[in-house]
Amino acid sequence: MTSSSPSFIPGPTSHARRGHVPRQSRRAELRIWWREIDRVLLALVLIVMAMGTLAVAVASPASADRLSNAAERLPDLYFLWLHLRWQALGLLALLAASALPKDMARRAAILLAMAMVIALVLVPLVGQEVNGARRWLRLGVAFQPSEFLKPAFAVALAWILSWRLRDPNLPVLAISGAAMALVAGLLMAQPDFGSTVLFFGVWFVLVLLADLPVQRLAWLVGAGMAALASAYLFYENARHRIDAFLGGGTAFDQVDLASRTLLGGGWTGTGMFLGTRKMSLPEAHTDYIFSVIGEEFGLLSCGLIVLLYVAIIARVLVRLVEEEDLFTILAATGLTAQIGGQAFINILVNLQLFPSKGMTLPLISYGGSSTVAICMTVGFLLAITRRNPYLARETFDWREILQRKGDAR
Amino acid sequence: MTAIMVSSAISSGRSQLVNTRQRSLIMARLRVLWVLAAFAVLAVAALLRIAYLGVVEDAPRGMSMYQLLLPPRGEIADRNGVPLARAFPAYSLWYNPAALDDGGAPLVKSPQQVARELVRIFPDMDVHDLTRRLQSGRAGYLRRRVLPEDANRIQEIGELALEIPQETERFYPQGSMASHVLGYVAADGHGRVGMEAVLDKDLLDPARRATPAVLSLDLRVQGALEEELKKGMLATEAVGAAGIVLDVDTGEVLALASLPAFDPNRIDAAGQRNMFNRVTNQVYELGSTFKPLTVAAAIDAGVVTDLSRRYQANRPLEIGGFQIRDSHTIGASLNVPEALIHSSNIVTAQIADALGGKALKRTMSDLGMDQRPFIELPARGFPIWASGDWPRLRTMTVSYGHGIAVTPLHLASAYAAMVNGGIWRPATLRKVEPGKAAKGRRVFKASTSARMNQLLRMIAVYGTGRNADAPGFRVGGKTGSAEKPGAGGYRRSTLVSTFAAAFPMDRPRYVVIAMLDEPKGTAASSYQRTAAWNAAPIVGKVVPRIGPLLGIRPDDTRDIDLSDLKPLVHGGVE
Repeated sequence: MTSSSPSFIPGPTSHARRGHVPRQSRRAELRIWWREIDRVLLALVLIVMAMGTLAVAVASPASADRLSNAAERLPDLYFLWLHLRWQALGLLALLAASALPKDMARRAAILLAMAMVIALVLVPLVGQEVNGARRWLRLGVAFQPSEFLKPAFAVALAWILSWRLRDPNLPVLAISGAAMALVAGLLMAQPDFGSTVLFFGVWFVLVLLADLPVQRLAWLVGAGMAALASAYLFYENARHRIDAFLGGGTAFDQVDLASRTLLGGGWTGTGMFLGTRKMSLPEAHTDYIFSVIGEEFGLLSCGLIVLLYVAIIARVLVRLVEEEDLFTILAATGLTAQIGGQAFINILVNLQLFPSKGMTLPLISYGGSSTVAICMTVGFLLAITRRNPYLARETFDWREILQRKGDAR
Repeated sequence: MTAIMVSSAISSGRSQLVNTRQRSLIMARLRVLWVLAAFAVLAVAALLRIAYLGVVEDAPRGMSMYQLLLPPRGEIADRNGVPLARAFPAYSLWYNPAALDDGGAPLVKSPQQVARELVRIFPDMDVHDLTRRLQSGRAGYLRRRVLPEDANRIQEIGELALEIPQETERFYPQGSMASHVLGYVAADGHGRVGMEAVLDKDLLDPARRATPAVLSLDLRVQGALEEELKKGMLATEAVGAAGIVLDVDTGEVLALASLPAFDPNRIDAAGQRNMFNRVTNQVYELGSTFKPLTVAAAIDAGVVTDLSRRYQANRPLEIGGFQIRDSHTIGASLNVPEALIHSSNIVTAQIADALGGKALKRTMSDLGMDQRPFIELPARGFPIWASGDWPRLRTMTVSYGHGIAVTPLHLASAYAAMVNGGIWRPATLRKVEPGKAAKGRRVFKASTSARMNQLLRMIAVYGTGRNADAPGFRVGGKTGSAEKPGAGGYRRSTLVSTFAAAFPMDRPRYVVIAMLDEPKGTAASSYQRTAAWNAAPIVGKVVPRIGPLLGIRPDDTRDIDLSDLKPLVHGGVE
């Protein structure tokens, strides 16, 4: 029906439509969406999600077996079926978010950030305790506010930092720092050390982009070190993990089991569903899914996954170099840093290059809130990097930029 | 003035904003590249670490799909791929009283309690017996072949002394069927008796055990042969039975049965006694089944040119104080077809005498009767074979299957050569691909073979083989009822009854041999002990069962042409 409505023809009598954006047919909107979004990025993300489906399928028996008890025996592919449902929901969230116009996406993310901060305040009061940490909120459905805060927070920070274009004298750094401190405090109350580090990283990347002088950068790095040291001194869980990482751990602890699993398949893997070491690995379907992939599909597949994440990151960031809107650059970099940071922290933990922390592999690990939230992140990313392909852009010229930089000093 | 002032203030503010915007953009773009570089460094670190782990760390390899699915010992399958022997990892329940290793009691709970819990898992075990074994403190198997789910339940009892080692089990899905061909795997992991012993190296070779070893056997044919043999053996109260189905053109053994059989899944003392293979290892004087071979040798040598020539048949032949006689006087004289139909020793001996010992010996030796039978199985009996020149008496007794003892397999191979156009081939238990059959050696002329096919068919139509003449299958064959030698000469009451047959005689494809060891005269055999009444009916029942499986359909409209020989029998009157 909408497709049959007459198209808008400007004419002398059209003043009545002032302020009214001509309504396009849904098909035309879809066509525009398809034309404007970053299809390469979408394809890369879908490939990684498909690999995630496979990985959860092979990791599911291990976790189902581990979580079964005498009273109830979970079917082997229990987590696969659940994961497929979450992935379907996530894809819907992804497409819905990516279909928003850039301004709408920004507004939605900011509102979401506010809502999630409020939810985070509620978590310590009415939250649900799992594994010694209160991270879940049960409002009809249980969800983890910190997961949904991740994309929203990156966009909100980018928005705050881009205020300085309106008024260079606004203390945007202080405002964003205060927001960061608030979120960090709320997260450590759960406690959720891993997420705090991740949020801190995103914030750091954003203020780095927002013209932070090198001098203050050094201050920040120093402060970060101090924060880590204090976490080591005063936060027991972090101390244990860092000790275990530095000291090499004990045989058959989580890290050791993960390493045995990762190497269990050699270069080419045991073949699907034929891994045996994964069965003794805790959190096989979430934190250590990279090791399960290593056993079943081989180290070569692990390398492929690393390359895919790099491809996603590079695709977004290289395109941003030609971008002319500061908010877009900040928000997209923040979202990318959030996905990439989480992915690399997880991968490096699995490769024993980083102390273990409870963090899932984005787009691959099993998860409810985290799958939907990460899909929403990608959706926001697609929405914010939407670009009219018919508009010519200033190409990035190194020499010119360096020259201008010199002029500016 | 003020307007100009305001305007310039706005423009300076604007230019400052534009400047800020431009500067911020450039800075942001540059630092985006920093971020990209940082991620690139992380990725390179991760990739290097993966490469390091894969190259330097001793990654446990060899967990490929291929190796996981590789059986610990190769399968054995019949010619159609039906598994005859399989291997799979299984658990067993081993009692290890030393497991706790603290000098105290071997069990945490009381033996009675552990026994009760075990019986809850395995209801067929006995509580008292188990308690006694647990109390004895001696290590040993409590049970073999434990299913994985039962192994888990044993684990849940929580006794360290109950160990569940994983062991490779050899499983014969067909039970005792073809047990003599297959053999079994002993506790040392190596094969015994049958093809398990012959193929031991291949079955254990990691490079070759992935593909099943394919035998020439056809499980369906084997089943039919074993069942009919067993029925016949029980009906006649025989001590044993043997049978074989042989492809005449390739030498492939489609079925080979020696009864009583043993169960390779469960080797016990009774099974050990039955491991002797009557088909390849036991030699028998097979009696009158040799007569067609003698006649074929004589026709081939040109000694018998006229089948209508009559030989005297009512006077025993006396050679050196030994009398050759028939069981009853058949007639004053018989021609060659009549002699075969009525199985006359006297006439066959005269033909052999005319042929001469040298020629008969050469034919028998060409048929492989002077050495162990040709087959892969390790258990092969050496024939009782007279060396040197055969005197007249030896020649004459050999002509009707006495004074020579061979295995039923020897006879099957000889019959195959006689009916297939004259080519003798070694028997084999390996499947022969089309066109890859052994070349063999010519023993008889093709014309001789064609003539013998007529004669064998006539025996089944008119003579002692009538009970084997399954309608439509054009069976031809010869009975043989030989007295077994015992203390003080032949014993008239203990016989070896054999029927050696081939079908379809218009174009012979398979030789079928059924043999009963010491059958009694029972109601089932009309109180007769001779082959016509016990061995021949077995062939008569086996052929209609296996023929359609092997592509030979009963057809009343086809048969070998007997019209030229028919007038020679009973004066041409049936």
